[in-house]
Amino acid sequence: MSDMNPALETFSQEVDELLTAMEEALLGLEGAPDDADCINSIFRAMHTIKGSSGLFGFDDVVAFTHEAETVLDRVRNGERLIDAELISVLLACKDHTAQLIQHVLFNEGEPLPEALQQQNQALIVRLTGAPAAGGMPSTQEEKADHFEVDPNTSNSSDNWVISLAFKKDALRNGMDPLSFIRYLQTLGKIIEVIITMPALPRIEDMVPEDCYLNFKIAFNSSADKKTIEDVFEFAEDDCDIHILPPNSRQEHYVQLLANLPEDQVKRLGEMLVEIGALTEKEVANTLHEQREDDDAEAKPLGERLVEKNILQQPVIEQALKKQEAVKQKINKESNYIRVDAAKLGYLINLVGELVISGAAMRLMVDKHGLSDVDDVASTMSHLVEDIRDTALQLRMVQIGETFTRFQRVVHDVSKELGKQIQLQITGGESELDKTVVEKINDPLTHLVRNSLDHGIESPEVRVRAGKPEKGTIQLNAYHDSGRIVIQISDDGKGLDPERIVAKAIAKGLIKPDQVLSKSEIYSLIFEPGLSTKEEASNLSGRGVGMDVVKRNIEALRGSVSVDSELGQGTSVTIHLPLTLAIIDGFMVEAQQERYIIPLSMVEECVEMNSDEWQIDDVQHYVNLRGQVLPYLRLGDFFHNNKKHTRTQRESLVVVRFGEAKAGFVVDELHGENQTVIKPLGKLFENLDGIGGATVLGSGDVALILDVQGLIHHAKKRANPALALLSGV
Amino acid sequence: MAKTIMIVDDSASMRQVVSIALKGAGYEVIEACDGKDALSKLTGVKIHLIVSDINMPVMDGITFVKAVKQLDHYKFTPIIMLTTEMEDDKKRAAKEAGAKAWVTKPFQPPILLAAIAKLVLP
Amino acid sequence: MTAKAKKNDGTVQLAIKDDMTIYNAESLKETLLGYFHPGTRELQLDLSAVTEIDSAGLQLLLLLKAEAQKRGFTLRLLRHSEAVIEVFELLKLGMYFGDPIVIPANWKKS
Repeated sequence: MSDMNPALETFSQEVDELLTAMEEALLGLEGAPDDADCINSIFRAMHTIKGSSGLFGFDDVVAFTHEAETVLDRVRNGERLIDAELISVLLACKDHTAQLIQHVLFNEGEPLPEALQQQNQALIVRLTGAPAAGGMPSTQEEKADHFEVDPNTSNSSDNWVISLAFKKDALRNGMDPLSFIRYLQTLGKIIEVIITMPALPRIEDMVPEDCYLNFKIAFNSSADKKTIEDVFEFAEDDCDIHILPPNSRQEHYVQLLANLPEDQVKRLGEMLVEIGALTEKEVANTLHEQREDDDAEAKPLGERLVEKNILQQPVIEQALKKQEAVKQKINKESNYIRVDAAKLGYLINLVGELVISGAAMRLMVDKHGLSDVDDVASTMSHLVEDIRDTALQLRMVQIGETFTRFQRVVHDVSKELGKQIQLQITGGESELDKTVVEKINDPLTHLVRNSLDHGIESPEVRVRAGKPEKGTIQLNAYHDSGRIVIQISDDGKGLDPERIVAKAIAKGLIKPDQVLSKSEIYSLIFEPGLSTKEEASNLSGRGVGMDVVKRNIEALRGSVSVDSELGQGTSVTIHLPLTLAIIDGFMVEAQQERYIIPLSMVEECVEMNSDEWQIDDVQHYVNLRGQVLPYLRLGDFFHNNKKHTRTQRESLVVVRFGEAKAGFVVDELHGENQTVIKPLGKLFENLDGIGGATVLGSGDVALILDVQGLIHHAKKRANPALALLSGV
Repeated sequence: MAKTIMIVDDSASMRQVVSIALKGAGYEVIEACDGKDALSKLTGVKIHLIVSDINMPVMDGITFVKAVKQLDHYKFTPIIMLTTEMEDDKKRAAKEAGAKAWVTKPFQPPILLAAIAKLVLP
Repeated sequence: MTAKAKKNDGTVQLAIKDDMTIYNAESLKETLLGYFHPGTRELQLDLSAVTEIDSAGLQLLLLLKAEAQKRGFTLRLLRHSEAVIEVFELLKLGMYFGDPIVIPANWKKS
């Protein structure tokens, strides 16, 4: 029985000792039948085993030992003579008791097997000389009478076991153990009491005012542990108190432990106090003892509690299990650390500087041709790259949370408008820089509300159009070539190109005879002052929204485009950089000026060979492998007034932005380079074609190109018709 | 045989309330208004428990407890001290003097009764 | 405090005419110890006048019982007073002392 509770273990040992002593005494009696010591020792064995068994509710043992005890009491009082026959019967009783104990210890709660029953009966007959009237039931009855066991509380294993070891001065201090035990009776029923006086000296040395009494009380009560402990409130200085809950409580505690909330890791003691298995006093005392122990290998609290019979092993085990479970859960949760965004910003700035000085070192290494340093420098620049990526990752958050917030908006607004609309979210796990997420919230809200308000029709209209009653708005996000793409689409009525054109003409945005592609028409809605709805709603407002949306997104170095099918729905697509801090750049040079092109936008670099490509110098396009590509000479563009001097070899860097492509003609290619974006001052904020600047390792400044803007320019310069062919 | 409790407090109303509660619970009560008065009454009667205030004129509770511990026929009588939360040091002193139980003031009679019952049932 | 009668067959009869409390436990013990003669076969204690018994008194009875067993004489408790019966009931001690307890008709406790 590996999980035997410690009290039972003690009991088992005690029984072994008592029975061994009994056997020795019985054998001793064979030589000296009148030896009082021997008789007492035999009596004590049966008497004590009976008492302890009662504590544990081993009724079969109690019943049997009671018979033996009764006979032995008579022997002790000289009413019955000890003879060889009785000695052999008592020896058999001793063996039988051992068997009974084995049975109850290892087959808890099971009835006695037939063989043991018969042996039981036979021994009682031999002991008493007459069959116990009615056999077992009678002894049960007698036992019940003797112990005053209330039938309602007859399950005596369901008792509290209260151990009280009074200290020497208890009586002097006015703490009478009897008073406490009397008071205990007001809370329940005392089933059994075992009194021991382990420290009792020789009678001559015994001081009557000293207290030698130890009590072990089997107590049946529905009171909780704290209440029972409180009975001994005033005795605590003068008494060691241990209160072991009954087995039924134990199950109750295990249950309570399982139900404890898992919101924080509690210490073992705290948990046990919370469920009432342990009182604060017990914890304090046990912890105090633990501290007192100088032993390097101080025992853990749980072990101590079990050892001291304060709590049963299963309760401790469950508590430890629970603690572990909560710990793991919390650990999982605490994988996240809240960090001040400013600190993170500072770190990322530092990493930016590190990247720059890394580049500076690289430059020096190359300049001085330090080939032996080269390897080291390479390793370090790899590490710096990793640090940069990781640092930026720190600020990455999933867009899902932002998306989810719209569920409420959709729910509330659709109700208000009398529409049935559901929101579908996909790609919520896509990550992007927190600073970007924060700034994208407003434009997204506007777009979603637009769809709710102007996009999705009322249920009746939808049914008439053969569409499901319930409209759907989709929020989707995914990564594409180092950027994040966010799409807001609905299955509403879509944009009406004719009305947009009419409105644009009315507003003077386009000329009546201007021929526009579909996407050009749709992008008109981002022009200031254009709203497709005459009556403004209180939700998405008057058409001031879309141009603001566009501006906001472009401020994030992003772009927005719209696609629609009349009657089928509208889809708005937003491209955004993942981060605003650092980009992998591609450095080029034109007119002794260095420029950075975001690497993710570089499609390819080809030699600008006038023989091979059909270069149209007037209209600024080339025929690149059959593709019409507008191009821009960066040198010319940024140094308009300077007469530019052709170098021998020019390169064409083909860039792509979304669907649009263009070529930048540069003098020299410098290759990849990590670029920390330094925002331009207010003064240069609106510079055409420039998104920012960076400091190079050499200390020079390079301009970061606003590719989107430049493509736009390139197209304008090229034949408008061609520009349209390439989209946007 | 009813158990006898001595209540020592300088507040007459306090003695009265406690006395009524104790008698109602089945105890006999002897009242005293301070330590000296109480000592003078500790003769020839059986007292099973003493409830004493700490702050009293003439003779304070701690001095009283020390004196009781010198009386052959009363030295083992359990003593409940009435303390306040602020009197931690006094509580310690009372403990050292020999009072091992206490009730914190202010209290309702049932609280005192419960405390007394743990030491002496009526 | 005690009245005694000694019979010739080694039986000593004592009546405890006082409480058995911590206040007189010391003197009670001395008195009782005085009757532990080698010739004593049985010590009978009349407890009828014990109006009060506390743990100290109980402790003495337990001590006597243990001592009697050790020295090989019989301790017999007679005419338990209400106070004694109450304690014996409380602690289920009847069996341990093994003496017949006569519960008076006007016994206050059920």
